[in-house]
Amino acid sequence: MSIASSKGQTRATGYVVAKGTSWRRYLGQAVLYAVLIFISILFLIPFYLIVRNGLMTQAEITAPDWIWLPKGLHFENLDKLFNDPLASMAVGLRNSLLIAVTQVFGQMLFASMAGYGIARIPYKYRNIVFYIFLVTLMIPGAVTFVPKYVIVSYLGMVNTLQGIIVPDLFNVFAVFLFRQFYLNFPRELEEAGRVDGLNYWGIYWRLLLPNSRTILISLGVLTFINSWNSFLWPLVIGHDSSTWTVQIVLSTFLTAQTINLPALFMGAAVGIFPLLVVFLVLQRYIVQGVARSGITG
Amino acid sequence: MSSDAYGNKGSRARGVTRRRFVRSAALVVGGSALLAACGDNTVAPASSTTAASGTTATTAAAGGTATTAAAAASSGGPITLSHWYHQYGEDGTQQAALKYAADYTKANPNVTIKVEWIPGDYDSKLNAALLTPEGPDIYEGHLTNSMVQAGQVAPLDDLFTDDIKKDFDKVALARNTVDGKIYGVQMINDPQLFYYRKSLLDKAGLKPPTTMDELINASKALNSGKVKGLYMGNDGGIGLMAGNLVYAAGAKFLDDNNKPAFNTDAVAAAWAQGKTLASSNTLLVGAPTDWWDPSAFDQNLAAMTWNGLWAMPTITKTFADDFGVFPFPAAGPSGKPVIYSGGWAEFVNPKSKNVQAAKDYVNWLWLKSADKQQDWSLSYGFHIPPRISTANGAAALKSGNAATVVDLTNKYGYGDLTIWNAAMGTALTDAFTNVVQKNADPKAELAAATTKVQAELDKVLKK
Amino acid sequence: MASSKIVPASPKITSDADLNAKGRRKRQLQTTLAFWGFVGPMMLGLIIFAYVPIIWGLILSFFDARNTITPTKFVGVDNYASIIGDDQFRNSIVTILIFALFIVPITVFFSLWLAVMVNTVRYARAFFRSVFFLPTACSYVVASLVWRITLFNGLPYGFANNLIYFFGLDPIIWIGTANPPYYWVVLVTVRLWLQVGFYMILYLAGLQDIPKELYEAAYVDGARPGWATFRRITFPLLRNTTIAVLLLNLIAAFQAFDEFYNILGAKSGLALLARPPLVYLYNIAFTNQNYGAGAAGGFILVSIIIVITLVQGKLLGFGRSENQ
Repeated sequence: MSIASSKGQTRATGYVVAKGTSWRRYLGQAVLYAVLIFISILFLIPFYLIVRNGLMTQAEITAPDWIWLPKGLHFENLDKLFNDPLASMAVGLRNSLLIAVTQVFGQMLFASMAGYGIARIPYKYRNIVFYIFLVTLMIPGAVTFVPKYVIVSYLGMVNTLQGIIVPDLFNVFAVFLFRQFYLNFPRELEEAGRVDGLNYWGIYWRLLLPNSRTILISLGVLTFINSWNSFLWPLVIGHDSSTWTVQIVLSTFLTAQTINLPALFMGAAVGIFPLLVVFLVLQRYIVQGVARSGITG
Repeated sequence: MSSDAYGNKGSRARGVTRRRFVRSAALVVGGSALLAACGDNTVAPASSTTAASGTTATTAAAGGTATTAAAAASSGGPITLSHWYHQYGEDGTQQAALKYAADYTKANPNVTIKVEWIPGDYDSKLNAALLTPEGPDIYEGHLTNSMVQAGQVAPLDDLFTDDIKKDFDKVALARNTVDGKIYGVQMINDPQLFYYRKSLLDKAGLKPPTTMDELINASKALNSGKVKGLYMGNDGGIGLMAGNLVYAAGAKFLDDNNKPAFNTDAVAAAWAQGKTLASSNTLLVGAPTDWWDPSAFDQNLAAMTWNGLWAMPTITKTFADDFGVFPFPAAGPSGKPVIYSGGWAEFVNPKSKNVQAAKDYVNWLWLKSADKQQDWSLSYGFHIPPRISTANGAAALKSGNAATVVDLTNKYGYGDLTIWNAAMGTALTDAFTNVVQKNADPKAELAAATTKVQAELDKVLKK
Repeated sequence: MASSKIVPASPKITSDADLNAKGRRKRQLQTTLAFWGFVGPMMLGLIIFAYVPIIWGLILSFFDARNTITPTKFVGVDNYASIIGDDQFRNSIVTILIFALFIVPITVFFSLWLAVMVNTVRYARAFFRSVFFLPTACSYVVASLVWRITLFNGLPYGFANNLIYFFGLDPIIWIGTANPPYYWVVLVTVRLWLQVGFYMILYLAGLQDIPKELYEAAYVDGARPGWATFRRITFPLLRNTTIAVLLLNLIAAFQAFDEFYNILGAKSGLALLARPPLVYLYNIAFTNQNYGAGAAGGFILVSIIIVITLVQGKLLGFGRSENQ
């Protein structure tokens, strides 16, 4: 995969160096960098403000004067966040992590299986099944939200982590992408596997999954983000503070009477941090995964 | 898609990945098992929350528990009641709720109260839960006719003896009555009104406004660049004025026969005044927090603000006695000053398996235990206890601005109507928004809103 | 096999054709079983958590269902009629069309522009890519708060007002007035910030699939790197990516909820300034607890989304490559 991508990069950039006098080229690059750096600063300002607000007092945040650098950094906000006995950020982080990891693996497993089945098993009605799946993408969650909640309550999963996890294990968009991906999978390889005596499961498990690393990672990261940031469903399912996710803990700083702005922003910073780490470590796979997903044609 | 990526070599190399995947899959299975275990714990009656609250309990339970203990004993066996609160913003409220629950269990050992402290959008969560058989046993909220029709509230008439009725705020009682039956016990009254900075008004040579015109003038006079004249929320006061102006003009939402009664010339004129105020360029708009948080006022961003009684402790801390209060001023010749009195009421879910035990608990907490009602109303934010005797016994409400608010509320207070639902409220707010933001004619907008409200009334009353 | 040789010919002898048919049926059965083995778990999950709720909602939309989701009183198409007849619902459709008109072209333009720039620089490419992609990790709730409270508050000293003060302009009330509707700046920039990085990645992936030889051939023909090659080579070859970005973007825009809900609210006087259909329906279902009408409105919205998707697909030929 690394071979393919590095090749792709030289391919795509080659043309810039192709022509033009050198001073022109350097000027062009300099302008380009200037623009990119300017936009980067704009893009990073909100992150900076989240951290800045998290380290200031309520009075400083709502103060009429704009403050670039707070005078004193109130790191005790962080202490308070983790030592609040009523809404523990630590419990929230643990729950969010457990939910996100389970959903990533569950979604990837179910979606890749279904995507493979639809793409490669010559079942008569597979396209009909596929279209029936796709219908669900058109329906906004708000329409099905309440019946879904009632079903989960009949399954006895309200106020449990399963109730947050299980209904979101079935991602049709991921099925769509896996199907596209497996449609393009070289048939020769599959046939070779069959000659070696592999059945459908063997081909899926031993040939396709190991070769789906990029798409698994890129989709996995996006699933992780979605799961981590999802709000309304965990809010409605989890009554007890032991089932609260990071987002729910965050929302406790925003009540009907007051807003605890420093805690809110400090919590947001803490909540975003794990995602940034996941992102930075895995983002090159996301580019490759998107490239191979078939979404771009 | 280049096929070199799928070469044999690569495939073997990625065997590692597969093993990793297997391990991960095992993790999923293990994880679900773990979750199942966790789930069992949370469903079990003795939850961690109540266990924790048990340890923090210190004081002895208040009186009036003899009957409840007997009632619970007769039903036999341990009972767990889930009790939902929306998330109060004031520090200490959650600990207080847990302590009340622990105290009750101390006096009634076979009843455990599981306090659920609900953050975020409480209404959505409560509404969803009430649709299921596993909703809360006891919950706080705001009564509507639809809740009664849908069987979401149990009648509580037997809790209200004549003595208690006499000793209960009339507005609060009416607010929880549908077709002559009482369904909710008001926990707290939350009057909303204007706060102003005394020193700033004095400097401008003004008295607290008593009419809309005076309010508009005051807002203009106090507006001085850095300090805006008035803060009524980030929507420019639209949400607050739409309803309050109806009452301030001497009209009301619905008449006694449940017909729309807000489409009058006086209201149209009041709305026109509201538009004048909203477009006077003297209102603070776009503050970091909305009107119900006193930050903007505390930060001196506006000379006057709208807020609830609950904010008074915070405002007192900032300005000591350099502030005063006044009701929503009268609008027009037929108008009168008004104070909207909100708050929360406690309900018992008729789908509960222990309706009687739940009623006993509500009775104990909100009707019998005056000390707890006082604690709840005055130890955190300020609220008025609906029990008149409790309110009278509250020292904090006896002096200064707080006493003024209590007096004004008794004089000018009005509460929500159970038949007036959110759809009707939206229709009215939308109409006033059109008047303010789109220069629509108040008369026409009031007529349009009347049609919508009537259509909604037809549907609600049809059953 | 061995036993069949010993057993004498029986009347049950099967013809070749029969054997084939049997084998085919057996194979078919195997195929069917294998297919459902793979697709079954997904199907089961969707039945429980998607199809039953959808059908439930569809049924509810023909019933009067207030404070309950048990269909009790059949009212025919009343719910649909009252939603379509409500001028506020029609306004919400207009609102979302305006929003889509802003956000879709702007997102396409910026994501493509950023992708081309990132793809053109020689050093620190991964750095820029990361920076533009990072906001994807932020939730709408948090971003909306930052935008509303810190960036675009209406105080003279808010960030945006500080910025325009440099240019000698008066402070602006960004959120809260209909004339001029500055709130669109707030709503569009927050979504742009959150999603442009993701679409940029799609374009980056597309750019990397363009063979370098095409550019070389163009240079041989005397073309200059820059606008000419972009217009004649890069953009046409990114057609499929652009279609995907347009489509994903449009569907997402039509389902917009979070930033509107968190910046303008659902019930305040601000909400009416720009109330998209989902906020309108949220009010009906969750605040008014009129689940029948809420479901009906949802399905009206669904049909609008489907129509627009189909029209756009027809115009741009989405899915053509899939059929090849």
